[in-house]
Amino acid sequence: MDALRVVPSKLKGLTRLRCEIFQTAYNPKNLRTGAKYLRARLRGPSMMEYYPKTITLSQVARELPQLGIVDEDEMQRLQDVEDRKRRGKGAPKKAKRKEDSKRMSKKR
Amino acid sequence: MTHNAMRFSRVVRDVKARQGVLKNEVSRRAYLYVARNTTLPPQVRHQAQLQLNTFGKYTRPSTVKNRCSETGRGRGIMSEFALCRYQFRLKALHGELNGVRKACW
Repeated sequence: MDALRVVPSKLKGLTRLRCEIFQTAYNPKNLRTGAKYLRARLRGPSMMEYYPKTITLSQVARELPQLGIVDEDEMQRLQDVEDRKRRGKGAPKKAKRKEDSKRMSKKR
Repeated sequence: MTHNAMRFSRVVRDVKARQGVLKNEVSRRAYLYVARNTTLPPQVRHQAQLQLNTFGKYTRPSTVKNRCSETGRGRGIMSEFALCRYQFRLKALHGELNGVRKACW
């Protein structure tokens, strides 16, 4: 039985040797060294891949103006906005001061 | 780069968070390492923690939430497909998802 008993100091030495060989940090007291924040993989790149990418017509038109692509839906939208403005149905002017805002006066 | 789901404001916010995480991840990790390292002097650790607090809200990985890429829904998401449960069902029944078919036994 005595032959199987391990001396604690030798066990310690074994652990240190193992750490040297496998290039891991020797931390016998299990102190918090913050190593896990350095060891963990960076998650940003994979986070950016979550939503599938799509190519839109307006994007292509912006990237390659020499193709002369016209986004008809966008043109129609701008035309509609202009028409609405002409009929006096455009978006109201932004309030310069707090007292000017309609929301404030309505509440009273 | 745009996504089809970017027409939903919550998805826009989520993409913003993802970009913030990507941009600040390395420096945040460095500060985290110093702040959580108990072998360093407390003063240094405290300084690192203060620096961590100066990062914006959308630089923390926990602000990122997987949302549905079709509807922008935030709950009942199957992350593998980036779809909410109903869109997943619709697409699966249309045969648009590879390797997915209706259970039958």
